[in-house]
Amino acid sequence: MSNTTAQFVRTAYRDSASDQTAKRIMWLYIGSGLTLVGVMVVVGLGMRMAQGGMHTFQPGLFYSLMTLHGSAMMVGMALCGMGLLWYLFTQEGPLNPTTAIVACALILVGAVLVAISALVGGFGAAWTFLYPLPFVGTYWPSWATGVFLAGIACVVLGWTIWCLQMLGGVLTRYGGLRGAFAWDLVWSPKKFAATGQKPPPPQAFAVLVSAVDGLLAGSAGMLVGVALFARWLNPALPLDPLWVKNLTYIFGHTLANLTIYMPLAAVYVALPRYTHHRHWHTSAVLAVAWWATLAFVAIAYFHHLYMDFAQPRAVQYIGEAASYLAAFPPAVVTVFGGALLVYRSGFRWTLGSMFLYVGMIGWVVGGIGALLDVTVAFNIYFHNTLWVVAHFHTYLLEGALLFVLGWVFYCLEERSGATSSRAVRTLVSLGVFGGGAWLLLGWYLAGAQGVPRRYALQPAPGMEIGWWASLGGIILVVGLIMCGIEAIRLARRPAHREVSAA
Amino acid sequence: MLAAVAIGTLVAVARTAQGPAVEQATIQNPGYRLRSIWFRGLAVVAVIGFLLSLPAFPYYTRSQLASSQHYPVTALQFAFAMPAVLPIDTPIVLDVTATDVNHGVGIYDPDGRIVAQVQAMPGYTNSLSLMLKKPGQYVVLCLEYCGIAHHLMRAGFEVR
Ligand SMILES: [Cu+2]
Repeated sequence: MSNTTAQFVRTAYRDSASDQTAKRIMWLYIGSGLTLVGVMVVVGLGMRMAQGGMHTFQPGLFYSLMTLHGSAMMVGMALCGMGLLWYLFTQEGPLNPTTAIVACALILVGAVLVAISALVGGFGAAWTFLYPLPFVGTYWPSWATGVFLAGIACVVLGWTIWCLQMLGGVLTRYGGLRGAFAWDLVWSPKKFAATGQKPPPPQAFAVLVSAVDGLLAGSAGMLVGVALFARWLNPALPLDPLWVKNLTYIFGHTLANLTIYMPLAAVYVALPRYTHHRHWHTSAVLAVAWWATLAFVAIAYFHHLYMDFAQPRAVQYIGEAASYLAAFPPAVVTVFGGALLVYRSGFRWTLGSMFLYVGMIGWVVGGIGALLDVTVAFNIYFHNTLWVVAHFHTYLLEGALLFVLGWVFYCLEERSGATSSRAVRTLVSLGVFGGGAWLLLGWYLAGAQGVPRRYALQPAPGMEIGWWASLGGIILVVGLIMCGIEAIRLARRPAHREVSAA
Repeated sequence: MLAAVAIGTLVAVARTAQGPAVEQATIQNPGYRLRSIWFRGLAVVAVIGFLLSLPAFPYYTRSQLASSQHYPVTALQFAFAMPAVLPIDTPIVLDVTATDVNHGVGIYDPDGRIVAQVQAMPGYTNSLSLMLKKPGQYVVLCLEYCGIAHHLMRAGFEVR
């Protein structure tokens, strides 16, 4: 066991004072992010069990919990990705730790406000808070709407600070937009090679795209937040529901997408370290793939408005085309590249590497589910059914979350020089992948039969499927608890150091 | 099924990973060749898929909808105001709007399958073109979250 870990200890271990600070900030983000995610997994399971008829939630409580679950999951997953990218970038160039702490604190304050709004105030307009819902026919007091909007504002503000800091860091480190985008590598590769410069590493593209699209999403979120806040203060203020809906989904869709793209950086950095001397380097193809991601993630949100026939017709076509095109970079570059990297590489299977690899599988499966949903011809049957819930839970639970867990275990394995036993790996696989797949299958099956989403009580066959799916959810939670115990076991081991090899 | 192929491929790749290691340089060039084939194949599939999906887009201009019979549908918390009977095998248009918040009109045929849906938004009218081919009792469910009784918001109509 010990010789299998020696290689990545040697390649990755760093121990400077600034690196210690950077690590602390990473753990602040990832620790608080995973805590939120863990609590929300349990809340989600409680909702699924209620839908399956195992126990009862009053509809008001169900929808408040649903609102909290959605908002806090977005925040939790975003925090994980933010901490990860922040730390990885400090390996490239300097970042101010205070700024990062302020951003994180703002986001956590926002999360607390959202929780107060939902749990104390009973706010339940879903995390999409689609105008005019937060104001009309509500079952919660008006102050809860105000607190919720203030919470979202804090989150958006913290997020925007982080984006600005990352963008500033990337532009400074790689020589402006031209360098950060690897423009010369793509258009004049020979000249670029002659200069002796190196393009930014793959994870820097994840930073750049998250920051740029993140600023776009943040601006839309701020704009819609301010508009709704004004409407909250002055109920006579007229807002156009279609305009608000477009802004809401630029914000929501883009942010949700970025939470999946951000932890991809963990795959770029950590996956090669489990192979036998292989590397993931920046090619022109990889750069172009991230350009495409930057553009298509930003305009794919139109697919949320397919069923709004009042929307200008042209954007419906753009929505479908952009959604298809957004699938190319992962399919052709990242997942293909990941598979090629692992292929006959003498790969070492640990908990960390397993999570990273299976995360790619979850990402692809969720992507296939999404491709059906973004095809207008099928969206007629899938829109706002449990199919949608199925595909984004596949992305987030068996994709993004696994990338984050993969990174966490990579760090723990690297630090302690130890890995988990085969028995633990098997049990965790059964729990997290098996239980997870079982849970997801319930949403796919129910969605294919047209069972609507966001229903406290579902029409047949929703309840029967929900009951069975809950069993998978329970197994998943057991698997995640085992992960937590194993993480604590590894974290408590003394730091391992290969002085001679360093 | 596509998902099974994808999982199968990635699992097969994973299984090769435990054997003896091969240098990255050895697999890089064949890998990149395979990638460009994969890219082209995927591009062809995407273009064909996009073109095939175009005729199914449910958006029509006012003049295209003019020849159909129009029926108003109004959604409000937590009910639908709509006709109780709709004609079978006839091109019809539902002019859908809402008075309070966003709702969705999801139409389920007598077998419980979704046949069409459209959003109901205050201040806008979404015209849904339909041809109902099965006689019997249809169910309408709200397909946009609209508040505490969202899951109870339903209506029905008969097609004959
Ligand atoms: Cu409704």
